[in-house]
Amino acid sequence: MVLREKKQFTVFCLMYTVLIFWTSFSIELIIESGGLGMASASFFIALGVGIFLSLLYAWIIVRRNSKIIATLKCIGWTNGDINSLVSGFILFTTILGFILVIEVLFHYAAIVGYLEAAAAALNGSTYDIAELPLVSLLPVVVTFIIFLSFQIIAILLANRKILKVRPIIALKRVGE
Amino acid sequence: MIEAIDVNKEYRRAGAIIRALADVNLTIKSGEFVIVQGPTGCGKSTLLNVLSGLDLPDSGRIIFDGENIARATEDRLSKIRRQKIGFVFQDFNLVPTLTAVENVMALLWPTVLREKEIENRAIAALRDVHLLERKDHYPVQLSGGEKQRNGLARAIVHRPRVILADEPTGNLDPESEKQVMDLLKQINKDMETTIIVVTHRASLNSYADKVVQMEKGAIIKIQ
Repeated sequence: MVLREKKQFTVFCLMYTVLIFWTSFSIELIIESGGLGMASASFFIALGVGIFLSLLYAWIIVRRNSKIIATLKCIGWTNGDINSLVSGFILFTTILGFILVIEVLFHYAAIVGYLEAAAAALNGSTYDIAELPLVSLLPVVVTFIIFLSFQIIAILLANRKILKVRPIIALKRVGE
Repeated sequence: MIEAIDVNKEYRRAGAIIRALADVNLTIKSGEFVIVQGPTGCGKSTLLNVLSGLDLPDSGRIIFDGENIARATEDRLSKIRRQKIGFVFQDFNLVPTLTAVENVMALLWPTVLREKEIENRAIAALRDVHLLERKDHYPVQLSGGEKQRNGLARAIVHRPRVILADEPTGNLDPESEKQVMDLLKQINKDMETTIIVVTHRASLNSYADKVVQMEKGAIIKIQ
């Protein structure tokens, strides 16, 4: 279902991808620079944007689909069933963002490594492949854990909003 | 099988108190086809809402299959709706990103049934409403009548005891209206499902075993 909400899904997935990369890169810089200055500022800004985006996505999913949620309640879905559905939306989008980041990093490392190795071979020297470019795995894993905790907060917000959706809004106006 | 006993319901709107239901008493037997009729604002939709547990009365009891649902928990009401009640909406209320068959399957997705079994039941329901050839189409690709038949298939897929329809033909042309009402009558006859239709159109009375006339929140006549 989430994939068919193409526009919304694509926009948020891309935003998560960029944000995850930004956060991971900030952590990489913090590790390299010892945690001071612009790297830390960048990291905290990324965190702020991340939590805001997570809450916004959860809010949008419930608000834009409130009539559908009400209809599902009318036909017998419980709040728990709907929570599972919305939680799945949120987690799927985030996890896909991570997969995209890892794919990009893998391909980047592979391309750079390949070209540098080729250049080294032309020069008659050797290329040290142990030095990975851009972002190493640890910052990505740490970012993943941070964003998972953001999604848990977002899911709790979504759950609260779902509880407030009354089934009768799926019907025509009451009082008639 | 459904009984409303001394049911009252009020709403506040723009500071005024509107008495939507006033001492309503109604008994609907199993297998009956009932039309609840009246002008706009008479309380017929409110009556449907409290009979189904979507809204709670301020006072009185709603006995559904021997259980007072006016005091049931939300989870219990969800279970009752999933097992025993089918809804047909005036605005169809189909999920736009799901195909016709998926919209029908949606009712059974939270159950323990396997996906293949759910799909088979959905296909059977679409066949019953003569919409099988459009099963892979999205709501935007269906006509008004087809959308309502899709909604009807969703309402019957779990073989409910009662179907509640709030102005099911309100947005349809006369031909589609006849199709939908004929289908409801057929379901009533073949599956012995109790049907309760809310409408302001007196032209549909001929389908019903019982017509309940409402005005200003009260039942004024049952014929």
